Amino acid sequence: MAGNTFMYARNLHKIYRKNAISTPVLKGVDMEVAEGEFLSVVGASGSGKSTLMHLLGSLDKPDAGEIYYKEKRIDNLSADKRDHLRNHDFGFIFQFYHLLPELTALENVMIPLMIRSSVFSWLGNGSVARKRAITLMEKVGLGHRMHHLPKELSGGEMQRTAIARALIGNPALLFADEPTGNLDEDTGREIVQLLRELNEIDNVTIIMVTHNLEIARGTHRIIKLVAGHVEVPLQLQPEAFGVVRPDSFDNLPEDENHSDETRRQAGI
Amino acid sequence: MYKLLLCWKYLRTRYLAMVCIVSVMLGVATLIVVNSVMGGFSTKLKERLHGLLSDVVLEAYDYDGFTDAPSKMALIRNDPFLSNEVDAMTATLEIFAMLQFNFREVPFTRPVRIIGIEPEGRKAVGGFAEHLVNPKNHEKPTFNLDETARERFMIRRASRGVDFPGPREAPNLNEPPPPDPPPSKPHEPQGVILGYAIAHYRDRNAPADLPNKDVRTLEPGDEVVITTVSGAKMSPVFDRFVVSDYFKSEMSEYDSNYVFMPIEHLQKLRTMEDRVTSIQIKLKDYNKAPKVVARLRELFANAPLEVQTWEQKQGAVLAAIRVEKGILNILLFLIIAVAGFGILAIFSMIVVEKTRDIGILKALGASNGGILTIFIGYGFLLGLVGAGLGTIIGLEITVHINDIEKFIANVTGQDIFPRDVYYFDKIPTDINIFSVFLVNLGSIGIAVLFSILPALRASMLHPVRALRYE
Repeated sequence: MAGNTFMYARNLHKIYRKNAISTPVLKGVDMEVAEGEFLSVVGASGSGKSTLMHLLGSLDKPDAGEIYYKEKRIDNLSADKRDHLRNHDFGFIFQFYHLLPELTALENVMIPLMIRSSVFSWLGNGSVARKRAITLMEKVGLGHRMHHLPKELSGGEMQRTAIARALIGNPALLFADEPTGNLDEDTGREIVQLLRELNEIDNVTIIMVTHNLEIARGTHRIIKLVAGHVEVPLQLQPEAFGVVRPDSFDNLPEDENHSDETRRQAGI
Repeated sequence: MYKLLLCWKYLRTRYLAMVCIVSVMLGVATLIVVNSVMGGFSTKLKERLHGLLSDVVLEAYDYDGFTDAPSKMALIRNDPFLSNEVDAMTATLEIFAMLQFNFREVPFTRPVRIIGIEPEGRKAVGGFAEHLVNPKNHEKPTFNLDETARERFMIRRASRGVDFPGPREAPNLNEPPPPDPPPSKPHEPQGVILGYAIAHYRDRNAPADLPNKDVRTLEPGDEVVITTVSGAKMSPVFDRFVVSDYFKSEMSEYDSNYVFMPIEHLQKLRTMEDRVTSIQIKLKDYNKAPKVVARLRELFANAPLEVQTWEQKQGAVLAAIRVEKGILNILLFLIIAVAGFGILAIFSMIVVEKTRDIGILKALGASNGGILTIFIGYGFLLGLVGAGLGTIIGLEITVHINDIEKFIANVTGQDIFPRDVYYFDKIPTDINIFSVFLVNLGSIGIAVLFSILPALRASMLHPVRALRYE
């Protein structure tokens, strides 16, 4: 494996079972992400891209296959270690922001730090954490909205808050699940711009799931999931783990339909 | 840290949870009020049961009694251990008897118990002088008539025709009184102190606003005849007595049965010389009663005497009170158990409502144990707040229970606490800090217990499924 490979997955399978009906969602996915890369995962809804992200983010366990992070296998870790990993190494941004409605924006941002500290250590470090949260809120442009509840914020503001929350733990890897899915075009573009800055300036590795190709084009590399498989575009060069220009995906919009077709055939 | 913050936020923002708090609060308040009132009743009842009985009683097995009480008392006084523990002692002679008197020209007969006492000594043992109706008798109890009683006695005697047959009565009493009142002392019968309920009855038809509904059948100065049995021969003896005062302990068993008279007079009447039936002992420290009883039993091992504390004598009644309180407490605790089910239901709802938040927390790295702690802590907090408020309300109600009773009685016109039933002039309460503490502990415990199940469910939620939950 390439030395700069940050995280990679081999032959991932995931099947959702409900009663007697089992629905295979991932059918042997292989993928890699390099350190400092901004990778986007595209695919139609139901193609398994969110599931892939949940597996990579150790929110869920694969039925088969392996996931390595920094050369260590993480899919079979104990619950404690996975919790620790999510809290210390990963950051999450969701389509529906997923802020806690009872907490103010600032408190929401501080939550990951609170999770990792006991009451007593919080008494010691709370003010440092608070300062960092304020800095991050200012960085995402919400210095004036810190003490508002999520319901008092606009969609874009909520997503910025969520980004600040994802960043507060200094994650090495940021997972963004349809971060613009619930926002209007302009706001969505702003959010992606923000992510890109984070990637470029702070060197945060980002895996973004989206179905919006225009947004995906702004990233280093695109993986397309079709019916539980990674569809490797023919244009993809062997130096796949390096930075691939997104303009090599010019023919993607046509593939959308194709993927729908494939899904229908696969009976998903 | 996040657990504390979220517990606090949930407590402040979930109005549904207020229902839990209110139910715990009501349960705790009820338990405290009922416990305090029950405790008040039982303390008061115990006080009264204790009333006449001294701390430790040395008793003969039969009505014949035993001789030489002074030497027995001297023996106790000379014992190195007992002399330090005993505060006061007095000998009494107890016997059943029949009391006859005329009221509104109708003769009445009642069964009574006569207790022969030495008034000063009996006062020292306690539970006697303070219950006498005539306040002059509190300081120095006596069987002598006071001025008004003597006057009434003289008038009654002078104006009396034939009342009930009195064999000791001189036949010439029907003659008109002599112009100068004769020196009353030699002719005056012995004074006795009657139980209050013997000399009074309650007029059930009296108007409700009348403060005292008791009708007096015997005034101080009225004559009564007491018939009892003589000592050894068991033949009937009787004598004429005059009422000097009443004994009102508010314990109907005593007030309606007991008649006190000087012990020497009773001994003479029953031809028992120096025999007594019991020695009443008051201790300096009641906590040492078991040791004193043991020592006394040792000391009088060969005498036909029984040694008991007052509690042993009243064992059955005290046990009944204890059992009653215990059962009531169990029943009332079911109230809090009901509140517990309320918590269970509402918590389950909150967990469902918070499913997505639980998913978020897990995604951000919160452990299952952390989520469990949030919800159990939340239950604990609800219990704590509910119990705290309940304690405040319960104590407030307990302290002001008589005002509340008066208010409700005024509003509804219904007497809630008929004072004549218990002879209490107000509802007695006794707040036991320990039981308040136990009630609090129990209710908080139940709140925590019932939040475990929903908390477990919350902690077991799968993060992805929880996140996707709509």
